[in-house]
Amino acid sequence: MTVAALSAAEAPLQASPRAVSRRRAVRRFKLSLLAPLIALFAFVLMPVLLLQLYFSVHQWTVYLGSWWDADYIGLDLFKEVLTDPRFGWAVLRSLAFATGSTVGCFVFGFLLAYLMHKPFRGQAIYYIIFILPMLTVPVVVAYTAEMMLYQSGPLNDVITRLSGIEFKPSWLSDPHLALMTVSLLEIWNWTPFSFIIMLAGLTAIPKEPIEAAEILGASKWRIFWEVQVPLLRPVILLALVLRFLEAMAEFPKTWSLFQGGPGSATETLPVYIFMTTWQYFEISKGAAMSYIVMLLMIVIVLFAIRLLRREKRSLDKMYEQTDSPKVEA
Amino acid sequence: MAMTKSQRRRITSGVRYVVLSVWGLMAFFPIYWIISTSFKLDTQWFAWPPYYFPSPPTLANYMNVWFGAEEYAQTQYAISSQKPLISLYNSTVIAVTSTFLSVLFGSMIAYGVSRYRILSEARMFQLLMLRMIPPIVIVAPLSLYYTAIGLIDTRFGLILVYFLTTLPYAVWMTKSFIDEVPLEVEQAAEILGASRWRTVFEIVLPLIRSGLVATFLFILILTWSEYLLALIITKTQVTTLPIELSKYQGSTEGRVYGRQAALAVGITVPLMIVGLIIRKHLARGFSFGMVRR
Amino acid sequence: MARIELCNLEKSFGAVHAVKDLSFTIEDGEFVVFVGPSGCGKTTTLRMIAGFEDPTSGEIRIDGRVVNDLEPRDRGLGMVFQSHALFPHKNVAQNIEFGLRMKNVPPEERVKRVREVAEMVRIGHLLEKMPSQCSGGESQRVALARTLVTNPSTFLLDEPLSSLDAKLRRELRAECDRLHQALKRTFIYVTHDQEEAMTLADRIVVMRLGEIVQIGSPMEIYSNPVNYFVADFFGSPSMNLVAGEIVQANGTARFRSASFDVALPDSFKAAKAGAVTLGIRPEHVGVTLGSGGDIELPVRLVEPLGKDTLLYFDAGVERAFVAVTEGLGMAEIKAGERIALSFDRRRIHLFDGDGLRIAGAR
Repeated sequence: MTVAALSAAEAPLQASPRAVSRRRAVRRFKLSLLAPLIALFAFVLMPVLLLQLYFSVHQWTVYLGSWWDADYIGLDLFKEVLTDPRFGWAVLRSLAFATGSTVGCFVFGFLLAYLMHKPFRGQAIYYIIFILPMLTVPVVVAYTAEMMLYQSGPLNDVITRLSGIEFKPSWLSDPHLALMTVSLLEIWNWTPFSFIIMLAGLTAIPKEPIEAAEILGASKWRIFWEVQVPLLRPVILLALVLRFLEAMAEFPKTWSLFQGGPGSATETLPVYIFMTTWQYFEISKGAAMSYIVMLLMIVIVLFAIRLLRREKRSLDKMYEQTDSPKVEA
Repeated sequence: MAMTKSQRRRITSGVRYVVLSVWGLMAFFPIYWIISTSFKLDTQWFAWPPYYFPSPPTLANYMNVWFGAEEYAQTQYAISSQKPLISLYNSTVIAVTSTFLSVLFGSMIAYGVSRYRILSEARMFQLLMLRMIPPIVIVAPLSLYYTAIGLIDTRFGLILVYFLTTLPYAVWMTKSFIDEVPLEVEQAAEILGASRWRTVFEIVLPLIRSGLVATFLFILILTWSEYLLALIITKTQVTTLPIELSKYQGSTEGRVYGRQAALAVGITVPLMIVGLIIRKHLARGFSFGMVRR
Repeated sequence: MARIELCNLEKSFGAVHAVKDLSFTIEDGEFVVFVGPSGCGKTTTLRMIAGFEDPTSGEIRIDGRVVNDLEPRDRGLGMVFQSHALFPHKNVAQNIEFGLRMKNVPPEERVKRVREVAEMVRIGHLLEKMPSQCSGGESQRVALARTLVTNPSTFLLDEPLSSLDAKLRRELRAECDRLHQALKRTFIYVTHDQEEAMTLADRIVVMRLGEIVQIGSPMEIYSNPVNYFVADFFGSPSMNLVAGEIVQANGTARFRSASFDVALPDSFKAAKAGAVTLGIRPEHVGVTLGSGGDIELPVRLVEPLGKDTLLYFDAGVERAFVAVTEGLGMAEIKAGERIALSFDRRRIHLFDGDGLRIAGAR
């Protein structure tokens, strides 16, 4: 078969006769990609947010009749919530819990990641063991804790045997310890998160700057603080920010294990909102509270997003993602 | 006395193994404990001193919890309902369906963002709010809304809200994979006559197949273990496994650790298997694709 | 059959003005090469013709029909990409077959056509392989076959050879040439390699900073560059360009630089005095052992290439003044020797302060 034969043989397959207007087609295509998101917003998220607004300015509980003719009471509920000391304590508890557990996760996660970032024998096994806590259903974590933490339970027993000193804190019933217990559980549960993020960050750091520093005679300590930590800044912030936000929302463990008790020692924001709404059935107060928390969280999240946007850019640079040309912007 | 380099290295390495092993034990001990408890006879659940090994190991807890087998029930700890299997079915259907929707539509959106910028960078970050704002703030109005439109206590209701709340993960994670597909490959398909949809389904999605699988399994982890939304939306009729497990809490039957453990192991093992399969992609998933390996 | 007209084409990416008011017609069956340094707008132009970029303003016509608002697939074009852009999850046969499938060609017909085209570019033995198992050259042949099989009216080639090594590049260049001869289709080829442009093109379009600098046959471009940029861009080794000034003395014009002084041909008799750049290609500089040339310069380096020998002279500036001599006769010359050089006067170019060529009177 020669080239000439082919060229002579057939007429070119010409442009299809039904030539679509490109601009219209692109617009339609973009819209159909976005349609599910728009639908979700319109039919799920918007009604819910509107209802929440409605309930936070109307007085209604389930004992009253139909919710649509509840009394309008303006901002009274917001005033009530903001002057409620229990709410103030819940905010503080949540912040303390989130901060404490985030720092804990980060410190342990980073330490483990640093010890693991160079290959060694058994690395894969350690990696698998280390991520297991993260792959445990949060409710299961709570029940496991219950089985292990009662006063004469295995944890205290193990520590007593190992140290030889009587060790009998009541993790579950001492109001001074309860919030710490949940924080420790959160740390146990989510250190793997910080660990995998930091490990991914550490292994992605280019080797050259570290080797260059080594040749220039820098100690491990100096290299860590002056080369690795600055290069890791985006990853570090990412690990802290995401963990903090997740911890602010923590509910399954706190609720399953303590239901806010003992006393009100573990009454974090999610728990308090849940109790107000589903135990005292003060739907309206719950809604007002939710609204305030939502606004608070939006402020925190917007701040977090600003951080993340900046850090994502430096991360993308680190992965040397060359800008692929975008079509039809 | 100065150490040689190899001595120092041996010490460093020794310290590393010690620290890692200590943490490994701490990480693994609770998991070991719940597994061993699930094989213990009822007299050993709460004994002093604690039983560190089930002796002899028994399958009674599993048989009783999962299959309601009475003959394995011992005295007052019998739980005769067969709810866990129904919950298992519910959990599976809900998690798989919502995850599938999330990944399917999420990857479409991600494609649009990556190639057509249907969402600006700012919008993409705003999308993250769906995930970052605690779900507790919307559950009350959500449950009332669901009551009004008849979705309360239905599988579809839960699927829909899981679809919504996992969408940010799906979009961000699949986008990080789509960004790695060279644009020229798509354009080659386009100029050879493929329509836009055809290019997506025949070129782009097959190319990020492994990424899609990873995203699917990752989101499956989230939907499988979700607690709060399930607690409120599906309280009576269609319980999922985490909710089923929580029903053993505070039951009048006393502490039924062995039964709970058998149920908990059943819930967690599939999750661990899935998680270990995609262990290389977990960092990418949890960081919304911002950290890659 | 395709005649492609570009009318006042403009493209901006935000603040970057990538293509500026470009008008040009590509005749049916012509082999046109767009050439220029990176960022000159040549690839953007090609991508606008293909339909991957929307022009900011202006029109693209194919056979008289405005195609601005047509999908790439409806323009009847074929494109070969720099990265080959094979579908990595399909084997070679499936890759080639893709375009036929999109046009709903029946399966038996498809198999036949794939075979034919594969034979044509000599990859018949690769059909069952995956793209990852193909070498760079093979991949590019597959990419060619994939485009050929749809029998497009026009072939767009975007730096198709730049990822290949020198030997393969020559081989595939010949292949492109052969295909063009045989198919008699329009070829639009983008490259930054002037040698590729020279060997392949019927017409070359030289671009720089988004604008067309010169259009012409390879010979025209080579021997009559319109400005300093074109003169410098084409030819290897490139043209000698020496800054200096024109001095009028006794009715003749002379060129004077820091290191030499040479009489200009009569055609430049009327040239205005002032700063200019003199250009002359290395092959138009004669080397004579002994005296009697136009100028005399010290040798900096001798580079024997086998067939030719390149002589680099010190002209008082960083860039060496180069002359080509045939054979190895001059290979023994030592650095530092002063050698007499004579210019082929008719081949002297002068460029003014703005880089534009000063036309000599004929």
